[in-house]
Amino acid sequence: RTMCSGKLQTGLLVASYFVYLLVGAAVFQALERTAEKQEKIEAAQMKEAFLQNFTHLTVAEMEQFMKNLTKAIQNGVYPVGNESQLEDSNWDFSNSFFFAGTVVSTIGYGTLHPKTTGGQIFCVFFALFGIPLNIVFLHRVGKMLSLLCIKLGNYLYEKGMRKKKIKFLTLLFFLSTGILVFLCLPSLFFQITEGWSYSEGIYFAFITLSTIGFGDYVVGKQPGRHYFSYYRTLVAIWILFGLAWIALLFNL
Amino acid sequence: VLLAAYLSYVGMGAGVLQALERPAEVQAAQHLLQQHWDLLGNHTCLQGPALQRLIEGIIQAYKSGITLQGNTTSLGKWDYSGSFFFSISAITTIGYGNLSPSTAAGRIFCIFFALIGIPLNLILLNEIGQLMLLGVQHCAHCLEKVFHWQKKASFLIKTCALVTGLLLFLLLPPLLFSDKEGWSYEEGFYYSFITLTTIGFGDYVIGMNPDRTYPGWYKNVISLWILFGMAWLALIIKFCISFLE
Repeated sequence: RTMCSGKLQTGLLVASYFVYLLVGAAVFQALERTAEKQEKIEAAQMKEAFLQNFTHLTVAEMEQFMKNLTKAIQNGVYPVGNESQLEDSNWDFSNSFFFAGTVVSTIGYGTLHPKTTGGQIFCVFFALFGIPLNIVFLHRVGKMLSLLCIKLGNYLYEKGMRKKKIKFLTLLFFLSTGILVFLCLPSLFFQITEGWSYSEGIYFAFITLSTIGFGDYVVGKQPGRHYFSYYRTLVAIWILFGLAWIALLFNL
Repeated sequence: VLLAAYLSYVGMGAGVLQALERPAEVQAAQHLLQQHWDLLGNHTCLQGPALQRLIEGIIQAYKSGITLQGNTTSLGKWDYSGSFFFSISAITTIGYGNLSPSTAAGRIFCIFFALIGIPLNLILLNEIGQLMLLGVQHCAHCLEKVFHWQKKASFLIKTCALVTGLLLFLLLPPLLFSDKEGWSYEEGFYYSFITLTTIGFGDYVIGMNPDRTYPGWYKNVISLWILFGMAWLALIIKFCISFLE
């Protein structure tokens, strides 16, 4: 009988999972389709206007140029400005370090990704060992964080509170400080350093800490902005502790 | 000590990747710049600033998932099948990023959708993993009964399961991809690995080539593959971790 109910449970789980996906897809479509259409019209208009102004240019040459440009963008090369931009590489050491971090934490923004075959193969093996290492590491950090909570719990216990109340309070404290430190405050910080709006900052923080990592927003990638030298390191530390916090939440 | 190991591991990876990727990148940038200047050189009525604006416009459009092709723009990506695939990429935390919400409402919905969807996904993967494990243990028991091998049976079954999993999820799919997507075997393998570990760069995504036609079952089979492959890889990584700890 327990076997039957177990199978039923799994069946329900699978069904609800797919229903969830279907519903989500429909909602996304409804929300994004019109905005996309708008963008398409604008892009086509822009291209038209450009060709209008410069009738010397043949359409074929234009096509070729755009194709090459798109390819370059796909590879993370943004050709805005002139020669001096060549100096800033996407693959200097601090950027590569950040990239390695995004691989190991499985965030994987994708704005930067290996294009050489050697780089790709190395990436696979690097992740194979790096991801377990990352998980073990986060586990440790999480334990350290939970020690703080235990200390708080003990302190309250000595003050004479009941156990249930303590548990509830520590959980609440943990949750709220975490949200503040890892979601709200960083978004304010990004508002200043990246020029994003507050909601964009929260969106970025969430997408990063959940390791989804779309890559539509990435720190330190705004052209024409100057970042102080330890900016990325600071962000990396934030990501690390944030991930550990989230992992702990799941364990609780 | 763990911290040191972790940091040095990441640092080492960074150094290697830098060495591997930097030259190619410089070449690509130079190539494009060359083209840029050629274009300006050939058409002297073309002005620098106007071209600049065009480039910026194209970059902007690209980030919204639109590329200009011929007289039109690329097919819309937010049709139902595209949105479905996007939802999957969100709750499995793969997050390709070739498609991402650009409206504020879409983003807010995305956050809440993921907030509930990710735990849901984890629970499902856990279930699938447990089922796989049960299946393997069941087979081991059967073998023990039939052949009286005891310890050998368990080890044999485990390696067998590992090899089948490897074949099914990592070694065979690239063949399918090279047929349907035109990628090389190595690229297909790279894509499979990056997807199943949920890193999901988005440099390779299935079904995104407008010049190719895909059979109706393609995306559905791939989604199933992602699910089971992720569950299998999660099991493998769990074993690796228990080994490390």
